[in-house]
Amino acid sequence: MTVEDRPELVFADLGQGRTFRPFEMRVTGDLAAAYMDTVGDRNPLYFDAGAAGPGGPIAPPGLAAIYARSSYLQDHAMPSGGVLAKQEFEFLAPVRVGDTLRVQARVFESYLDDKGRRRVHFLIEAENQDGRPVTTIRLYAIWPK
Amino acid sequence: MPEFRAGDELETIDKDIDQGRIMKWAELSGDFNRLHVDPEFAGRTRFGGTIAHGPMSLAFLNELMTRVFGLAWASAGRLIEVRFRAPVRPGERVTVGGRVRSVREEGGRRVAECEVFVRKPDGEEAVTGLAEAPLEGGGS
Repeated sequence: MTVEDRPELVFADLGQGRTFRPFEMRVTGDLAAAYMDTVGDRNPLYFDAGAAGPGGPIAPPGLAAIYARSSYLQDHAMPSGGVLAKQEFEFLAPVRVGDTLRVQARVFESYLDDKGRRRVHFLIEAENQDGRPVTTIRLYAIWPK
Repeated sequence: MPEFRAGDELETIDKDIDQGRIMKWAELSGDFNRLHVDPEFAGRTRFGGTIAHGPMSLAFLNELMTRVFGLAWASAGRLIEVRFRAPVRPGERVTVGGRVRSVREEGGRRVAECEVFVRKPDGEEAVTGLAEAPLEGGGS
């Protein structure tokens, strides 16, 4: 299925408790390099094993914003007009370049607010290939339709 | 890691935002929302032109915190109450920074609570949040 073929993820699909299938992402050196280039963040922790310690280079923590989004849009397209209202990250262990992450999103809460806006709160949890939790993300959005 | 006290300012980072960087973020994230990537479409919206993706600002805040707190940030940092207050537009230079609000003991270790921001050239805060970073340690 190409991106164009995917159905839009609409509010009616986002009932409280819905759990999306796990999204798997390998954190390659190329991905880290693309991130560094785009953001302009060239912290030696991301590429210098000496700086990062015995586990090797770490992935830029900001990558979490990318795998968070992918975790609920594997099979859907995002409808236009949504608003990202708030987001929170809790890092539990460093992600290393070479890790394979398993990321799962759940609709923690969805409701119409007092102005009739469609509010969705995702809880997204990522663990590494050893089953160790690495990141917890909370994402609060106003859904467009 | 240096000592931190309430009131300490975190060294700021400047970021130039242009449409090329926004397109690169779209490629990286897979987010091709027309509000970000289609100037003609975006010009007809209430924003009057394209705006940067919100998560790009989160990347800048993570850059700031990793630069200041190193591996400890990636191991046990928390970025909370991040709010998107104003759009960041191509052509703007934003400043990413923060200030230590408090240093407290938590679970046997010291944690710095910082107010962080992405600020637009006119001084308006585009993004604000709280970041909590342990002052020692770094995960395996």
